[in-house]
Amino acid sequence: MQTTTKTSRKYLATPIFGVAMGLVYLVALSVAGQPVWGVLALAIMVAFSGALLLARRRSETVKGLLDHRDERISAIDLRATAITALALIAVILVAFVVQIARGQSGWPYSMLGFVGGVTYVVAVICLRIRG
Amino acid sequence: MRNDVRERRVAKGLSQADLAQRLDVSRQTINSIETDRYTPSLPLAIAIARFFGVTVEEIFHADHN
Repeated sequence: MQTTTKTSRKYLATPIFGVAMGLVYLVALSVAGQPVWGVLALAIMVAFSGALLLARRRSETVKGLLDHRDERISAIDLRATAITALALIAVILVAFVVQIARGQSGWPYSMLGFVGGVTYVVAVICLRIRG
Repeated sequence: MRNDVRERRVAKGLSQADLAQRLDVSRQTINSIETDRYTPSLPLAIAIARFFGVTVEEIFHADHN
């Protein structure tokens, strides 16, 4: 039974997604008449993806996040995601309050807050049902 | 949670990398467990105990005050 040799290319998923998003930025900015900014955005995403692949060779943490995660890396990823969400919620709430204090509608922060709140409630319900 | 993973690993002549490979976790995870910075899940704790041929209670020690 093979237990140690891994031939998975799963570690390429995030860098490929990064390059794909760079191409999306290129197309979007080209459509908007700003192809130079599009090329710059693509270059940044390609550089970021390349840096990830290089870091994977030297860092066990990056390697774990990309393709060989164990329970500790998964827990770190989960907590980091939660902290990121908290930061985003704080920014959305502050931006929403500032907007309505200026007499504006609060858009799009109201919608972002709504989506975040509904997602949280649905997630809690689903996770509770699953046990 | 205190544990005897380091002592038992050294007694077996294994490096952290060796033990990590046997348990299919990262070397950092073994290091974090040995230095009490990470408490493993029940399945991993059982896997560690089984690897050393002891019970979970013999290798992990809950501190009751």
